Amino acid sequence: MSLDPDLFESMRLELRRGSLVLAVLACLRTERYGYTLRQALAADGLEMEESTLYPLLRRLESQGLLDSEWREEEKRKKRFYVLSPGGVSMLAALTDEWRGINASLDKIL
Amino acid sequence: MDMIDRYLNAVAAQLPQDERADIVAELRDLILSRFEAKEEELGRPLTEDEQEEILREIGHPLVVSARYRKGPDHLVGPELFPYWLFGVKAGLLVLLTVQAIGLFIHLISGTDDAGQAISRAFHGFFSSGLTLIGAATVAAAIFEHYDIRPKWMTQWRVQDLGAFGLSDPATWGASVGAANATKTPAAPSWSLSPRVRPWPGGEYAFSFIALGMFSLWWVGLLHFPGLMHVELLGADATVTPAPIWSTLFAPILIYALVQMAVDLNSLFRPHAVRLRALAQIPLAIGGLWLTWAILEAGHWFTLTDRNGETARVAGDWVMLDAELLRTLGDGPRDLAGVADTLSVVMVWVLAFTAISLAFRIFANLWRLVRP
Repeated sequence: MSLDPDLFESMRLELRRGSLVLAVLACLRTERYGYTLRQALAADGLEMEESTLYPLLRRLESQGLLDSEWREEEKRKKRFYVLSPGGVSMLAALTDEWRGINASLDKIL
Repeated sequence: MDMIDRYLNAVAAQLPQDERADIVAELRDLILSRFEAKEEELGRPLTEDEQEEILREIGHPLVVSARYRKGPDHLVGPELFPYWLFGVKAGLLVLLTVQAIGLFIHLISGTDDAGQAISRAFHGFFSSGLTLIGAATVAAAIFEHYDIRPKWMTQWRVQDLGAFGLSDPATWGASVGAANATKTPAAPSWSLSPRVRPWPGGEYAFSFIALGMFSLWWVGLLHFPGLMHVELLGADATVTPAPIWSTLFAPILIYALVQMAVDLNSLFRPHAVRLRALAQIPLAIGGLWLTWAILEAGHWFTLTDRNGETARVAGDWVMLDAELLRTLGDGPRDLAGVADTLSVVMVWVLAFTAISLAFRIFANLWRLVRP
């Protein structure tokens, strides 16, 4: 039976949606601003729309998981984000959870 | 104003005031970074079309700004949607029933233009249905916005789930039948176990919705187009309420609202039989008084035809004559004939209402005193 491409795309997006927060937190162990963060994620195979990434960064910051500051770089003011201490703990806990799910899925698959 | 400013202005207009400047500054940096990267790739400045293409990739201002919203980004979310859908389905079925009854009365009142009556009923159903859907959506949006989750959504009990069968008309009879505890209620055709008794709160839910719609109509918030017109030999006759309805406006509204409150209480506590009986007795006495006051008025409606001629829908107890009922509809189909027919129907409706209210008083007295 042939694979329904639309259904596959919808399920694929659903599958990766939950993992994006983990990827963003992991990428922000190093300080970055939005544009370079998106490039770093894309370089590792996780393309993310700006209209999703930027609001996500603000949400994570309002949840106390990120710190941010405006700084001038390349003659322009940019907002740099980095994991807060709370974010470091959250990343560690989510990483454990992710590995647990992965191990379970590996057994099932 | 260049293209970036125009784009950012459109985004900023949708953003909350306190965060606007910060978000716009960050988006400006993003856009400029994207432009610079593309220029570096092409080795030349971007054309306007190429800049616009990048802005389109970033997203429509309404979509981009919506992602920054803190509240829900939908009117009815997935959690509330099943409740919304049930309310709309049940409400539409009630509306359909009301319109069907109205159409039936219309057709037997001597119309010779059934097509027009049917089209008016359709119009009434669709306009009141759209009002219902709008009201349900507004209510759901308020629930979403303020994150309201009533107890009946989060701490429901299995014994209260029968009301949700109401969206299937096949179960209506079974729910109403459950009011009489001595009868074995009929199970719906899809029921897994024929011995399962329908939930006794079903009739109260139905009564609550019907009275709610009546109250909205009574205060003028809901309209049933065509309700105040009768067809008379193809001409439209207007029905004007008699002064008694203005006199009794407040008592009838209060009666409906109190009955709704009793229904609501019964809906959530369908097994509180004595409490309900205690409330139903004074309500039924109030209903009897209203029925008596309406009958005593002796004049209920005035029919006016296109030529300005009028006929009164009026009567008294003397018209409770089986012979009059037997010859109902045999009279002429003119204005006076239709008014006479409606007068007899009205007197009999009032009589049956009085009998049913008296029966309700005795039945509830019995529920109060029985062991």
